Amino acid sequence: MDLSYRMRLLIVLISIGVLAGGGLVVKRLLIPDSFGVYGPYRADAIVEAALVPIRHGTNASCFKCHPYEANIHKNGRHHTISCEFCHGTYADHVKNGKKTGTLPVKKGKEITTLCLRCHNTEIKARKEKVIKTVAMPDHLKDQNVKITHNCNQCHHVHAPLKYIIRAKQITGLMEAGS
Amino acid sequence: MKIINPSPKMNRRSFVKKVLNGTIAGSLYLVWPMGSESLEIPEQIPGIRGREYDIHNQEFAFIVDITRCIGCGSCCVADKREYNVPDGNFRTWVERYVKGFSDEVYVDCPNGGLDGYQHPRKDITEKVRDTFFVPKLCNMCREAPCVQVCPVGATFKSPDGFVLVDEKRCVGCAYCIQACPYSARFLHPVKKVAQKCTWCYHRIRKGLLPACVQVCPTGARKFGSMKDETSEVYKILKGPGVLTVLKKEMGTFPSLYYEGARREVI
Repeated sequence: MDLSYRMRLLIVLISIGVLAGGGLVVKRLLIPDSFGVYGPYRADAIVEAALVPIRHGTNASCFKCHPYEANIHKNGRHHTISCEFCHGTYADHVKNGKKTGTLPVKKGKEITTLCLRCHNTEIKARKEKVIKTVAMPDHLKDQNVKITHNCNQCHHVHAPLKYIIRAKQITGLMEAGS
Repeated sequence: MKIINPSPKMNRRSFVKKVLNGTIAGSLYLVWPMGSESLEIPEQIPGIRGREYDIHNQEFAFIVDITRCIGCGSCCVADKREYNVPDGNFRTWVERYVKGFSDEVYVDCPNGGLDGYQHPRKDITEKVRDTFFVPKLCNMCREAPCVQVCPVGATFKSPDGFVLVDEKRCVGCAYCIQACPYSARFLHPVKKVAQKCTWCYHRIRKGLLPACVQVCPTGARKFGSMKDETSEVYKILKGPGVLTVLKKEMGTFPSLYYEGARREVI
């Protein structure tokens, strides 16, 4: 090929221009839109993180439809326990104000296992001021009940001292209203 | 010769930045009214709902009170349910520390504390001096090593102080998993992206407490805004109580504080 000096220079310049322009276009396509707004990351990722659907409600969301349980739970010693820990998440139960699933209710020995998760004295890390603990089966023996008893046969699971206090009041060990 | 900028706060770069910030802030503002269900739940963190979320003017703190933790594992269960965390991976977990009279420290964490701690440790022959539980989660470091090492900008520190993972950008190289001094990260076995505790960022933005704080029966986990002077965490951090952070010598400056942590806790 026999090109003039000017022609060759033009070809070189055009190729540089095409390469640089193409590079810029590719760069533009590869970098996400919101990249670099706050820093070297996609700012939209913050929006996405905020839009993750919540699965846990609060106790208040459960109390709205379960006023009977709410009344017992709120006035008992267990008022700090989350409903959803024992029964499952709000999202598995209600969607858009409609019931979509039934949450499990613990029964029998499951309840004892669940209680001892927190109330077992054997784990020596539970302080008196934080939680009242019992040793099993010593507690059952001390209270003169069968060793096969489950916790919920004496203690209401939502308000553990509800029946105990009532029984004491009836037998005169405790004054009514105290 | 001194060059005087006629308008030092408004050069072209800062102008463009400001405009873009405004656009993003506007789009963020649209976030909170979504999810009509969540709004029916009473607000737990005051000052988030019903106003524009000023992303540059937020500060949150997390406090774990070790003296109140009973190792029930509610937090672990709540965390697993909130995110459907795959088995064997944990966004938060509770460790049991047992200290013997020989100053030997035994640490165990069966199934991340998901099943609670039902039985005492049987394999310790010496006399036990002290037992306590230490809940662990993301420390939300102000100088986060995971952010520094991410090669694609998928892990970042948001302007409101959260270290988050952009799952669309993450390539799953697991560099951040090695970099985290607290082992808070894991590779999602199906999505093949790095995941970690976000302090339930989606809940906070809706004015709700993180799931683990919400379910903690003894109040061992506390969370709140540092911009709110009536919040519990503000009062604790302002007060004279001894607060420690994990691995201070690493220079990560975590925003997760521990109350009543023994020296053995790492």
